Amino acid sequence: MTSRLPAARIEFWSVVMGVSIAVIGLLLIWPIAQVLVLGFLHPETQTFTLANYAKVLTHRYYLGALGNTLIIGIGGMVGACLLGIPLAYCTARYVVKGRSLIATLAVLALVSPPFIGAYSWVVVLGNNGWLTQHMKALGVALPTIYGIHGIILVFSLKFFPFVYLMTESALRNINRSFEEAAENLGCSRLERLFKVTLPLVFPAISSGAILCFVLSIADFGTPSIIGRDFRTLSTIAYNQYTSEMGGPPTMAVSISMLMIVMSMLAVLLQRHLMSKRRYAGSLTNLTVPKVCHGAFGVFVHALCYAIVALATLPIAVVVYTSFLQTSGPVFTGGFGLNSYARVIQEVPDAIANTFKFSLIATVLITVAGGLISYIIVRRETRLSGLLDTVLMVPYVVPGVVMAIGFLLTFNQGALDLVGTGAIIVLILFIRRLPYGVRATSSVLRQIKPSIEEAAISLGASPARAFFKVTVPLMMPGVIAGAMMSFITAINELSSTLLLYTARTATMPVRIYSAVLDGEFGIAAALSTILLVSSGLCVFVVLRFSRSKEGNFV
Amino acid sequence: MAQVRLKNIRKSYGNHVALKDISLDIESGAFFTLLGPSGCGKTTLLRAIAGFHQQDAGEIYLGQQSIGHLGANKRNVGMVFQDYAVFPHLNVFDNVAFGLVQQKVPANEIRQRVLSILETVQLGQLAKRMPHQLSGGQQQRVGLARALVIRPKVLLMDEPLSNLDAKLRVDLRRDIRLLQQELGITTVYVTHDQEEALSISDQVCVMHDGVVQQVGSPWVIYNRPSNRFVASFVGANNFFALDPVGESRVRLMGQEVDVPDVVRGRGRIVASVRPEKVFVNQSLGGQGWQFDGVLRQASFTGRELQLSVDVPGHGLLDALTAPSESMVALKPGQSVRLAFLAADTLYFAEGDTGALLS
Repeated sequence: MTSRLPAARIEFWSVVMGVSIAVIGLLLIWPIAQVLVLGFLHPETQTFTLANYAKVLTHRYYLGALGNTLIIGIGGMVGACLLGIPLAYCTARYVVKGRSLIATLAVLALVSPPFIGAYSWVVVLGNNGWLTQHMKALGVALPTIYGIHGIILVFSLKFFPFVYLMTESALRNINRSFEEAAENLGCSRLERLFKVTLPLVFPAISSGAILCFVLSIADFGTPSIIGRDFRTLSTIAYNQYTSEMGGPPTMAVSISMLMIVMSMLAVLLQRHLMSKRRYAGSLTNLTVPKVCHGAFGVFVHALCYAIVALATLPIAVVVYTSFLQTSGPVFTGGFGLNSYARVIQEVPDAIANTFKFSLIATVLITVAGGLISYIIVRRETRLSGLLDTVLMVPYVVPGVVMAIGFLLTFNQGALDLVGTGAIIVLILFIRRLPYGVRATSSVLRQIKPSIEEAAISLGASPARAFFKVTVPLMMPGVIAGAMMSFITAINELSSTLLLYTARTATMPVRIYSAVLDGEFGIAAALSTILLVSSGLCVFVVLRFSRSKEGNFV
Repeated sequence: MAQVRLKNIRKSYGNHVALKDISLDIESGAFFTLLGPSGCGKTTLLRAIAGFHQQDAGEIYLGQQSIGHLGANKRNVGMVFQDYAVFPHLNVFDNVAFGLVQQKVPANEIRQRVLSILETVQLGQLAKRMPHQLSGGQQQRVGLARALVIRPKVLLMDEPLSNLDAKLRVDLRRDIRLLQQELGITTVYVTHDQEEALSISDQVCVMHDGVVQQVGSPWVIYNRPSNRFVASFVGANNFFALDPVGESRVRLMGQEVDVPDVVRGRGRIVASVRPEKVFVNQSLGGQGWQFDGVLRQASFTGRELQLSVDVPGHGLLDALTAPSESMVALKPGQSVRLAFLAADTLYFAEGDTGALLS
């Protein structure tokens, strides 16, 4: 920073720092501390005990759920890698026609509500699914979608875009010489891939994979819709919480801590692996994608399109279903707008709530995210470093856990927010704030302080330099970040499911209950509204941002 | 006998012809440098030898073996890259061992050979380091060791020093040359730096527009450039036109002088004289020409004094002299007398690549 700053500006940023710490303390640290402490309290006597954890770690019911969660986490992660890495390799190394279409479809699959996947696969492959029925008519019995393999399938198809987008951009930034050196030293194409190319993009692959793992173990909607009797930590935490209503939710909390620990271990493992690897990309000597002819070309295109087609199938199913004619919950054949009419008659509040809460949360995230990222990037103090670290926490805390923390914190006195819209806005805000901060700080890091200093040396005041030079340069990143916050906010389910009341229910909550009630028409119509909204945001990001798909990971 | 033989290599990209019928013989054990400006085809030619580009026509021989159609992984040529290409996920030892592992050399032999070559390139202490802990110069030593340890039939180097800072570049250049001579390995080296090419090579091949302009020892390249392009690209040079005035006289920088014997009857030609062959305020010790001019700029670099002099009827002429106190005291605007010997003057036919006349 420049040495001479007006006193007022220093005070302003100190105030920002103070307020940020207070807000994060209240909305993040305190609720999680409550959850943490509650896990160590005896449900009746309220004295310190390790019994809750002992129970979770010894009882077969919980251990089974723990094992299941690990299986779907690893399964989702591996599945996402198996889809994402080959797709990334194809689009990065070969000239694939419609590459931007593929990227856009992958992004769309990514931003669609997670539970849509589960529900759509039920529509296709469930007991009464159309593919199941058609194949049954042909005498072929398809395996059921319900169960562990269904969950892993849905997770793989839902989360692979993370692996794909991260790996693709890493593959594109590999210096061509590395692969040439490997070839020069005697590697065949395949050896080169496994000995050099994949190790070089391992940081990107592992980041994507860990993200898939964390999201898979935290996901609540998918296992509860197609898991049937298959229990995961997130479903039993939710069930425990709803059955412990009235008493302190100690067991739900203990289970939650287990999920946090798993996520944190995964993130720490990835950080540990990454710490030994520091590869600077080179933008000078990049690989040129090859044109592939003949059978191989057909294979590459077929593979790419098959993957994104499978991933976007749920979206197509949802939109298609929403236009089917219904009478009550029953599909009567033919097309019609009945489902939309019922949405408007029966749950108009849900639409209004979703947009109202998400919009407010997005504005808050954008403003707070911009200010906090300026503190983190430009004023490197111990406190801002701490802020940066603390903001990692929401990444590893599942929505169910955060919601329980909020219910424990904001339930009395002046802080009694239970049942209000405010508590939903606040949880959306704190859960997505890190993403907003990351979006703006990555842009800010690319803007050299010297640009601001140049403006100051040309006579602009520091404040004017910030607003006239830095802010306009930050805008694309800020807008992209805001769009992403908005998309995740309107699709949020796992935390709001514990916090909503009849007055504050959002679209994802309504979709979830509609699916459970067998009201597939309403679920599809609501989902389509969500999808179109998300799609519009994606369009804005792709249209106005330079790094395109990079914004979504 | 030639270790590397290129016969009629051609390569084009769309309409752009990158290599036009290149034929070269590179002697066993020679340090052979491809020199030229960017886009001249030198890197394309090197990469064709390495197997990264398939030539459109022509053949490449390594010793007796034709390698032009082998994959890059089957050629057994060592390659050192401009950007080092040291694998960032492997430590120094594993980087150097990479090619030996590919060749399925026994582990204890790999160990022995890697440690020995690391000693040779002065990295013996750094075997366990990761690449990001190394400086650029050290990384390029790893690249060199990695290429040498597989005992290639030929060592290819693609501008290996151009990413290093000036001092390091000279140090490593010296080490590369010593090592090459010690091992006696045939080396093909690409650079656009003419000073580097002259200082390191046995043979220099100057390329321009996909065509070999001249192959020769550094001495020949500098002192007997085969055409005007080589004369202007390698080293500094002054060029001036000789316009015929009647049968036996030409106009040389505004003066009418007798036509030099070698160019009698050639019409309009271009002559050149190196700046260090231009005498400043000194009398000539032989047959030559003198001009009066006005000093425009003088720059003293310690070892020498560079003068830019405006000669009426020509323009700026550069001179390079040993600095003396009286010379350094010269101020822009002062008159100076320039002179050079006919013997130091070369004559070229007209055009960018006009041939040397002799």
